Amino acid sequence: MPCRRLNALAALEDGSTMRAQTIFMSPATSMAAAIVLPPLLYVFYTSVSGPTGWLTSYSEIVTSGLFARTLSTTLVVAISSSIVSLFLAYIVALHLARQPGRRRAVLIVLVLLPFWTSVLVKCFAFTIILGRDGIINSTLGWIFNTKIELPLLFNRIGLLIGMTNFLVPLIVLPVLASLLAIDGAIYRAASIMGARPARIFWTVTVPMSLPGVFAGLLSAFVLALGAFVVPALLGSSQDQMLSSLVDFYNRQVLDWPKAAAISVMLFCMAVGSAAPLALWRRHKV
Amino acid sequence: MNRLVSKISRRSFLVGAMGVLAAPMVSRRAAAGSGTVTMVGWGGAYQEAVQRAVVAPFTKETGISVNVAPGPVLAKVKAMLLTGNIEWDLYTDTGAVLASGSKQGFWEKLDSSILEMKDLAVPPTSDYAINEISAVGITWDPKRCGSGRHPVNFAEFFDLKKFAGRHAMRPFPDGTLEIALLADGVAPKDMYPLDVDRAFKALDRIKPSVVWPATTPQSVSLVQAGEVDFGMTYVARAKTTNGPGGGVPLAFSFEQNVFATSGYAVVKGAPNKENAMTLIAYMLRPEVQARLEDQAGNTPTSKQATSMLSTEARNWQPDLSNPNSVMINSQYWADNMEGAARRFKEWIMA
Repeated sequence: MPCRRLNALAALEDGSTMRAQTIFMSPATSMAAAIVLPPLLYVFYTSVSGPTGWLTSYSEIVTSGLFARTLSTTLVVAISSSIVSLFLAYIVALHLARQPGRRRAVLIVLVLLPFWTSVLVKCFAFTIILGRDGIINSTLGWIFNTKIELPLLFNRIGLLIGMTNFLVPLIVLPVLASLLAIDGAIYRAASIMGARPARIFWTVTVPMSLPGVFAGLLSAFVLALGAFVVPALLGSSQDQMLSSLVDFYNRQVLDWPKAAAISVMLFCMAVGSAAPLALWRRHKV
Repeated sequence: MNRLVSKISRRSFLVGAMGVLAAPMVSRRAAAGSGTVTMVGWGGAYQEAVQRAVVAPFTKETGISVNVAPGPVLAKVKAMLLTGNIEWDLYTDTGAVLASGSKQGFWEKLDSSILEMKDLAVPPTSDYAINEISAVGITWDPKRCGSGRHPVNFAEFFDLKKFAGRHAMRPFPDGTLEIALLADGVAPKDMYPLDVDRAFKALDRIKPSVVWPATTPQSVSLVQAGEVDFGMTYVARAKTTNGPGGGVPLAFSFEQNVFATSGYAVVKGAPNKENAMTLIAYMLRPEVQARLEDQAGNTPTSKQATSMLSTEARNWQPDLSNPNSVMINSQYWADNMEGAARRFKEWIMA
């Protein structure tokens, strides 16, 4: 055993990180696999073995208008909320990266506070802010001295606001990590060479923060794909996403093969969107 | 050995594997002796009422202790029967869901010899018993919408010219289709079988101004917050807003209602079957129903219980013989829920 451990450390020091990764990751990975894989396989089995024959639930779902509509809502909401979140999170991360250490720590807690709050609580808070008589509408009404009822709740706008609020912290952290990893000397070199701030931003900051951007974007997108609570509480009935369909087939009509088939497709979408990133990262490293 | 393995079907292997994984959760229950029963509860204020009015006195009388598991979901019953790991003895839900479970063979036959049959307005079937009726109707905030400024029947609720504003309705077909047909002028006696096409056509008229609350508590909280002008909710929910800590008090129309039943069934293979039967029989007694509805605010199915209710509870009792109202037909929904639920979901999301 000690010999093995030394090997692992040596591998790390050698820089042959691949092998060290395998050794250090294997306990966590095997435990996760033991817990997650059997039920996952069972879900997969349920999805392919419908009561009326193999793969019938897939063919019935793919041809149903309900699924097509929900899938397009899911993709549109997941992509647009991830992009809006990235835009907002990048600004926050840039600001955080420029703060001195202690101040940054305080500000990071402010980013994490909503992240730690239950999504259910946040959604109910949003109904108070966005509602017809909510804080925004009543404030605007007071300023313009007339009754203002902007439709901010139970529609796509409310859903996107809620989703963005939910996703921003997930992007801030990896982007901040990437930004902090940039060597300050590169900025100094760029400005000595005469580059203006805008040019430094586009040729140094952005390219060097890309790993964090992609990692954040990916985790935001994957989480957004499976959103359930936010669309249920802030969106309209037309804004419901695939998870709501899984719930419907699972609980309301007890059609488990279809619920499982949609879950498997969601899973494949998540894995499918992660794969290119993993390949790109390996290529880079 | 090999032959034995090949005899095990894939499904039973997978089920077995799931059972092994779930074993740590089962052992806790296996320790329970004969003096217990596990029931499912709705949670919230309603479950507290059940606890005070039913569970505590039941345990005192019989010595049987009652565990309450949260959240009735028929899918869970199906999963328990599939895996053979029956965690619930007593299941509660609406009459429609109980009838649907009955159709799928989820329940034990009831022991009719211990049930008081004659006193009940809705007699128990062979495998489930109805113990209360909940009126669904229109609710509004009387401070925002005074007399004449809110709908009192379903035709008015669907009349957007007369009562413009945001409406909330339950996002489920059972009850909602009946309300749409009543609004469209179908006579209560001609309700079943439902003219589903006509119901959806009527719903199309008000769809643009309807919000579909994700949870039952929201059916009153959205009205209280002024997010919705006119809601559709259970009378007990509206009554609660008038009690201490209820928030903005809401009004409720008894001029026209649909009546949803709810009750109990014993899950097939329940480990504490006898105790579960005893508890059902207990819940059908007039004095127990009166005690429960004094607190819960629904309508007892026991005819004798009606006269035992407190004055306050009686003020919130609907008239079950109101000719404008309809009792939801559980058997119809047990037979038609799946198709209607799919169509409703497609319609609501389109």
